[in-house]
Amino acid sequence: MLNLISFQSSALGSLGQLALLGGLGFSLAGLLLAFVGGVRADARVTEAARRATWAVFALISLGMLVLMVALLKDDFTVRYVAEHSMRASPTWIKITSLWGALEGSILLWAWLLSGFTFILSLTLRRDALRPWALGTMFVSLLFFVGVCATIASPFTPVSTLLADGRGPNPALQNHWMMAVHPVLLYLGFVGLSVPFAYAVAALVTGRLSDHWVVVTRRWTLVAWTFLTAAIVAGGWWSYETLGWGGYWAWDPVENASFIPWLLTTAFLHSIQIQEKRGLMRSWNVWLIVLAYSSTVLGTFLNRSGIVQSVHAFAGGPVGPVFLGFLAFLLIVGIGLAAWRAPALRDEAEVPAPVSREGAFLAGNWLFLVFAFMVLLGTLFPTFVEAAQGRRDASVGPAFYNAFAIPLGLGLLLLMGVGPLLPWRRADGQGLLRALVPLLASGVGAALLGFVFGLRAPAVLLTLALAAYNLVGLGLLTARAARQAGGLGRTLQAQPRRYGAYTAHIGLVVLALGLAFSGAYRKDAQATLNLRAAAPTTLLHERLELTGLRQVDRGFGTSAVASVSIDGRPFETRLNTYTQAPGALFPAPAVRYGLLGDTYLVVTSIDPKGQWASIRLIESPLVSWIWWGTLIICIGAGLTLVSPARPQPRLAPAGLAPATD
Amino acid sequence: MSQPTPLPRARQRRRNPLPVILGVVALVGLTAFIAFGNLNKSLEYFVTPTEYAQQRAELEGRPIRIGGLVRAVDYNPQTLNLKFVVSDGGASFPVQYSGAVSDLFKENQGVVVRGEFQGDTFHAQELIVKHSEEYNVPKTQTELKDMLQQTQ
Repeated sequence: MLNLISFQSSALGSLGQLALLGGLGFSLAGLLLAFVGGVRADARVTEAARRATWAVFALISLGMLVLMVALLKDDFTVRYVAEHSMRASPTWIKITSLWGALEGSILLWAWLLSGFTFILSLTLRRDALRPWALGTMFVSLLFFVGVCATIASPFTPVSTLLADGRGPNPALQNHWMMAVHPVLLYLGFVGLSVPFAYAVAALVTGRLSDHWVVVTRRWTLVAWTFLTAAIVAGGWWSYETLGWGGYWAWDPVENASFIPWLLTTAFLHSIQIQEKRGLMRSWNVWLIVLAYSSTVLGTFLNRSGIVQSVHAFAGGPVGPVFLGFLAFLLIVGIGLAAWRAPALRDEAEVPAPVSREGAFLAGNWLFLVFAFMVLLGTLFPTFVEAAQGRRDASVGPAFYNAFAIPLGLGLLLLMGVGPLLPWRRADGQGLLRALVPLLASGVGAALLGFVFGLRAPAVLLTLALAAYNLVGLGLLTARAARQAGGLGRTLQAQPRRYGAYTAHIGLVVLALGLAFSGAYRKDAQATLNLRAAAPTTLLHERLELTGLRQVDRGFGTSAVASVSIDGRPFETRLNTYTQAPGALFPAPAVRYGLLGDTYLVVTSIDPKGQWASIRLIESPLVSWIWWGTLIICIGAGLTLVSPARPQPRLAPAGLAPATD
Repeated sequence: MSQPTPLPRARQRRRNPLPVILGVVALVGLTAFIAFGNLNKSLEYFVTPTEYAQQRAELEGRPIRIGGLVRAVDYNPQTLNLKFVVSDGGASFPVQYSGAVSDLFKENQGVVVRGEFQGDTFHAQELIVKHSEEYNVPKTQTELKDMLQQTQ
């Protein structure tokens, strides 16, 4: 059944497989050592467990290195290389083929997890949490390294040797972003394992003081930043290569990464309530269990084939195993939280509704509902199939937009209120006074939009909320700068707060991009003829086909159409790949602009070279999505900067940033 | 608004959690209402021509996806008007689509189309091409043919 190790045909494969099995052995040993160290409170055993993480990291790194060497040397005795790489590919494609298919991507996941565990082993305090946090990481490692070394091993040898590999998936070599996107995504997913490990350790030891929350804030932020970047990078890849002019289709694969993002964003805000006020302890534990579980759930959904998707990945036996791990995480997490419930409930004050923690909590609920609805939409076709026996029903974007838009607007509303509110309790009058300029600017922005001819209610609302958020953050910053005696001084004293403000500004920019490009996208198709008598007019632009040519790329061909749009030259391609002779991959020509993109994609080219059918898409403010994300990531980075002036130990380093 | 002084920790006080719970229930209820109000509208079923012929009363006029083999292609590249017949051997329906198709769009090829029926004609909004990580076009076609054989 499982060909765990075989020295028959592949030297590199055997070495890699041995490295993985060694890693598996050390994971198991580390888990046992951590457990014993935790139960007996024996620091020496715990130290041994800590060192086991180094061995695991070294061995999995060796496995990665072996697979990389096999890919670069075109060693087709290794099945993974034979099936997902080929001699003709350029070097960068060979390198990225390492995570271009299932087995390699799980190896990458395991490797990043072992790397995070290694970093954790260097930063862990010598306290009672240590063995249990390590042990939890070892549980995750045991699972991922186990899958990697057994049912999804990239090192299984081939049965029949091929002269040349089958080559990587064309869809993934069409754009460099596909090389980056999975790495970012896994860094985000794997990063969540650390807060989860701390939460489990806090639950097991019963040390539910606020220390674990303070420690995990940085880990969570780093993971969250990668996750944010990964999701948007995936959207950008879709925009740049699929030729439909969109970036988000509520596809199950996209949803699988979005649900963890929603839960992690909620967690980032709710841990601040615990940090500052000591409330929401059990909430935070539940939330991180759910967030970490949702990363496994997403992988299960996309690898099991239970959800039909335009790109449901082939997975083989991996799906059920992930489902088992998901069930294990949920049962253990929920079981521990339920067992510790009395200890978690010791401070039963409910946050006042009109206070910063109240705003945080309301935002948390919106995030939770959002995540639940996305999950519902993703799974609904499966329910329909189970209940009615219908195959392949799917929920269209309309379903998602119906709740995503109101929830998103609600989050924008709270995001503006949160920073204005003090912790604990706000007096109504002060709040109203503070809200007047915000509301005025919001109404003003909406009126301005209306005058300029915007009529979509969601867009006008987004515009109003954007102005209201920006004015609110601006006023708060100005006031703080006045009090501190200069903007630079307040920035240095409280980088965390201003990092959060920056991230919020980025989110406002992103929201504007989403609203405008979603509501005012224009799309038209036409066939252009070479040497046409008159230019074709499409979306008020004059289009002329100026040339058609064929280019041979070695592992495929490209048909290139040169089109001038209002005199500006565009070159758009249709690529074919030798591995997929029956498929065309469009490469759109996009002219990015601050206020809108012109997006041209060729859909069909006359074999005789006389005409080309094109699709022209004009979307306003699409670029704001990418720029907004960049601002978000910069802001998240700023929140990790330590304040310039050492603060007294008891005082929080700058009051926490606002809520979404 | 924010002085860097230590905040008082929350005092031990039992509050009635009922308002919070009620608020949450209302929020979830509202969202569910919004969603389910159009869930039925936005649920797209996937059918073969034979299945559509059987469930016609229920599906006419609502968005569906229909899958089958392409027959009788009539495409004018200049006007971008495409007419073809989608068939699974048992039943077949004419399809109208406005938009470019590549020269890979051929007779007897498997196809999945999104749109709705108006009378006997299927008005297509989108021709769906499946792509997967394990890119393999014939595979989807054989899958489709297998599926078509099962329905006969």
